[in-house]
Amino acid sequence: MTPYRSVFKDETKLDINYVPYRLPHRDRELRLLMEFFSFLLRTPEKMTQRIMITGDVGTGKTALSQRFGAEITREANKRGTNLRSIHVNCREYRGSLFLILHHVVSIFHPNFPRRGYSAEELLGILLQVLDDQKAHVILTLDEFESLVEREGSEAVYKLTRLQEMRLNKPQRISLICILRSLKVIEKLDASARSTLQSNIIHLKGYSKQQLMDILNDRVSLAFKSLTVPEDTASLTAELAFSENGNARFGIELLWRAGKYADAEDLDTVVPECVRKAASSIYAVMRKSDLALLRLHEKLFLLGVARLFKESDKAYASLTEAEQAYAVICEGFDVQPYSHTQLWKYLRALSALGIVKTEVSAAGSRGRSTLISLPRIPAYELEKELSVLLQKEES
Amino acid sequence: MKIEDVFSSRLRMKILKILMQVGELNVSEIARRLRVNYKTTDKHLSVLEDESMVKHKVFGRIRLYMLNESSPKTKAVQSLIKAWEHANKQ
Repeated sequence: MTPYRSVFKDETKLDINYVPYRLPHRDRELRLLMEFFSFLLRTPEKMTQRIMITGDVGTGKTALSQRFGAEITREANKRGTNLRSIHVNCREYRGSLFLILHHVVSIFHPNFPRRGYSAEELLGILLQVLDDQKAHVILTLDEFESLVEREGSEAVYKLTRLQEMRLNKPQRISLICILRSLKVIEKLDASARSTLQSNIIHLKGYSKQQLMDILNDRVSLAFKSLTVPEDTASLTAELAFSENGNARFGIELLWRAGKYADAEDLDTVVPECVRKAASSIYAVMRKSDLALLRLHEKLFLLGVARLFKESDKAYASLTEAEQAYAVICEGFDVQPYSHTQLWKYLRALSALGIVKTEVSAAGSRGRSTLISLPRIPAYELEKELSVLLQKEES
Repeated sequence: MKIEDVFSSRLRMKILKILMQVGELNVSEIARRLRVNYKTTDKHLSVLEDESMVKHKVFGRIRLYMLNESSPKTKAVQSLIKAWEHANKQ
């Protein structure tokens, strides 16, 4: 057996959770964030800040906020300020204000009980904990849409106006809200909206050259020297550019291409590896998106995937999808959910871009919802979901 | 309270061991781990608190108990438990 060879030096540098020290083409935004929050380094107790970061998938919103969080925390700690930067993905907590706040409190008190109080009380508790430890928090709410959709104006209002309940006391919590577009904010009532929309940093999709710079940076961190030719990086950047300048897509593509090169025992990641990788990866179907779905969302989506896999149709009605879902539930020995709940799931899946829905054309009797999988091959989706569901079962 | 009165209780010793392991807990959770009711747990916690061996913080309706690390009695008990468990492992 030949010894294992790899083009990778450190593939974790291509992981979705890795935050590089240098964020090419986001220096301006990083400096802007530093400016917005510079008071935390001088007079942390005197004020708080609320910022929104918007931008499409893969424009560096999460990486920017995490790099900023690490840098400002380091600076503040040097000056003796107890500053914590806490990053929460709202969708991971099902958009529940209570669960999000509990997560934050449990960073300070790991065994804090989960029951016996409301979200509002928990907010008060969080402030008490921060007073107790003389700490300041920059709370980054990633995928903020999820919180707005579940909790509406009330939660946003509570979060943004909490300081008003405690006049003349030190200010403790600043917010960074990360979302794809401002559309979701329009759903909020005027008072909640006005507290949020003052400072917005919009991240545009990267250009091809910018993507090249980002990918070259990652290549030097993750791959052995001279294993990724310029053509390969250029092709990857081209493909990522065609996905609305999505750097995350490019980085994932690069990782997969490296895996193809390793599997074929190649010394370099040739462009053909990128092409193979591209045919097996779909940016809209981010694995993280699928993994975060609830059990019945996954079962429902699996039903939809099987429906399309077994037929040549481009559209399926919600009724057909429900029937397929019922069969899947039987296979997994779980009770299927009702039509109303599935309708909500379908809307959520559609908002994520995993499925597309439209109402059937006028002319036919009644109206029914038609579902399609515009960009994801049904067999790929079925495979990914089966793996996730198997993991969940075990 | 005399030392034999404090340590004559199996539950009080268990409370000290639990708090030593996990740091801080609310009354209900301590009760759940001890498999006794809330009232009994609260009573034993009060005894330990009167002896300054544990202390608590109140967050709204939640009381979080922890060892009172500045108490010489607590330090002595911590050393005793550590030595005891170390010897048992050998």
